[in-house]
Amino acid sequence: MSLLTAIAVGAMFGIGLFQMLRPNVVRSAIGIVLVLNAVNLFLLSAGAYQGEIAAYDTTSTRARSDALPQALVLTAIVIGMGGFAFVLAMVTLLSARYHTSSIDDIDRLKG
Amino acid sequence: MDPNPVLPLLPVLAPIAGMVASLLAVRWWRVQALVALAATAFGTLAALVLLSRVWSVGAAMVYQSGGWPAPYGISLVADPLAAFLVLMSQTVMLAGAVYAVGSTERCVRDPIFLPLFLALAAGLCGAFLTGDLFTLFVFSELVVMAGTVLTSLSDDGNGPEAALKYFYLSLMASTFLLLACGMLYVAHGTLNMADLGRRLAASPGEPLAGLALPLLFASFMIKSAVVPFHFWQPDFHTVSPTAVSAMLSSVVVKLGVYGFLRLLTLLYVADAPTLQALLLVLGLAGMVYGGLAAIGTHNAKRVLAYSTLAQIGVILAAIGWGSQPALAAALVFTFNHSLIKAALLMLAGALASRAGVKSADFTHLTGVGRGVPVAGALFLAGGLALAGVPPTAGFVSKLLVLQSGFQAGRLVSASAIGLLGALTLVYVTHAYRRLFWVPLPAGATAKPRGDRLLAPALLVVLVLAIGAWPAALVDVALLAARWLADPQAYVTAVLGG
Repeated sequence: MSLLTAIAVGAMFGIGLFQMLRPNVVRSAIGIVLVLNAVNLFLLSAGAYQGEIAAYDTTSTRARSDALPQALVLTAIVIGMGGFAFVLAMVTLLSARYHTSSIDDIDRLKG
Repeated sequence: MDPNPVLPLLPVLAPIAGMVASLLAVRWWRVQALVALAATAFGTLAALVLLSRVWSVGAAMVYQSGGWPAPYGISLVADPLAAFLVLMSQTVMLAGAVYAVGSTERCVRDPIFLPLFLALAAGLCGAFLTGDLFTLFVFSELVVMAGTVLTSLSDDGNGPEAALKYFYLSLMASTFLLLACGMLYVAHGTLNMADLGRRLAASPGEPLAGLALPLLFASFMIKSAVVPFHFWQPDFHTVSPTAVSAMLSSVVVKLGVYGFLRLLTLLYVADAPTLQALLLVLGLAGMVYGGLAAIGTHNAKRVLAYSTLAQIGVILAAIGWGSQPALAAALVFTFNHSLIKAALLMLAGALASRAGVKSADFTHLTGVGRGVPVAGALFLAGGLALAGVPPTAGFVSKLLVLQSGFQAGRLVSASAIGLLGALTLVYVTHAYRRLFWVPLPAGATAKPRGDRLLAPALLVVLVLAIGAWPAALVDVALLAARWLADPQAYVTAVLGG
């Protein structure tokens, strides 16, 4: 199971990175989401395969799972969502000002 | 002494409190301005008190938030290095707030400008003070977000373009940092930097911990705009509002420098020689590239942005030498460069606000400074400080860097720094000539009023004062360097005996 997760996370990261490097700004914004979520899944899987019961359950003596990665992922998801919303706002603004969706045509700053 | 002192929290809490208060007062810009000034002034005061307390104790002050003991809770660690950098960033942030309030730019009147500016200050101080790698990620993301939104607000229509470029790169940097957090957590089961440093030293050779190192290194390189990863920086500084670009080019780029210092002296002490060699090469490359690019550009703000690449190069080279005096010299250089670069960018922006066409391009700025002799004098003093001419603070930092280099026996690289310093003189005098010496071209006009010059004047006075009495600053930097030489002291301070 952990091998499957590893492959899935790796594939997701790779696809996201590929999309991110595309010249179309909308595609590359979607690439950002894929990369961020791949990293979140990686963090989540860091604590997924240890322990059998929830961390707050004190009634049982079985190995308790590690809750910290989940706390980290929650924070990271919120930050990633804010970042993605901001990128989308930026893309809207840019396509209105430059009348293009290609990153190659957004090139007024040089020198 | 208080076992859990709250003092390290104050430089972070003051801007956050100011941010909340100014968000409550979105309709009254004057109230927001007062709140921003008060919050940054209080933050500076708190940073000053913090540094003096740390200085008198000679060790770290640690605040365990919520009273949770070290490896489980989040610690705020005001060791001499962090306290020094916090004082630096709060001082420059205070000057930035003063500049923003006296600015004529339209975007400054935006109700979210000042709250975001305070968020930048909070993120910066938090990132310096935190003793936890994940919290470092959160605070640096706060800095990135605040910086990008402030830039996209810019009066210049190209703001969103620069913001998008910066945001993509620094989002990648943050993703790397997050990945490194995950890897270190898998390898060593902790994210507290003191605990992590101890465990990395105790069991080297964990494969995932080895992978985390290049990720952290790349992340700090993007944050500091070290040369191959600098592409966002010049565009970003050209279009962002002056008050913001002065902060970004001076204190925000020091976040990566701080990261390198922690990597070398706390986390990956065993790999330090390799990293130091790498930093030395990167630093020299940055000095050559930044210096030449600054000479070749035609925009005052861009010249200063490229100059930052070169100056970061000097700092990295000094860190690369790695001896205690070299680290102290790097810290003094870091402090002085922040003050000088912020002052110069503010002056360039103040002139741009007086030009007929509001732009920092040399074609629009030529001769504008002739009507503002005060700005000319300040620019000259700041420019000479940047080039390292006595009696300014820039001379002190340059002298210390060269001295420590020769002491460490690094003759070639130290002489290279000395020689490449001549490039600084070239672009500074060129900029001065274009802005303040050449008469206004026929048909061009300069506005009589523009951004106020109080903030850059304060910074330049500070630069001259440090040039005249450098002893206090150098002593604190030496204490910080001594402290950095002993990673065990940090570990003991955070985790207890």
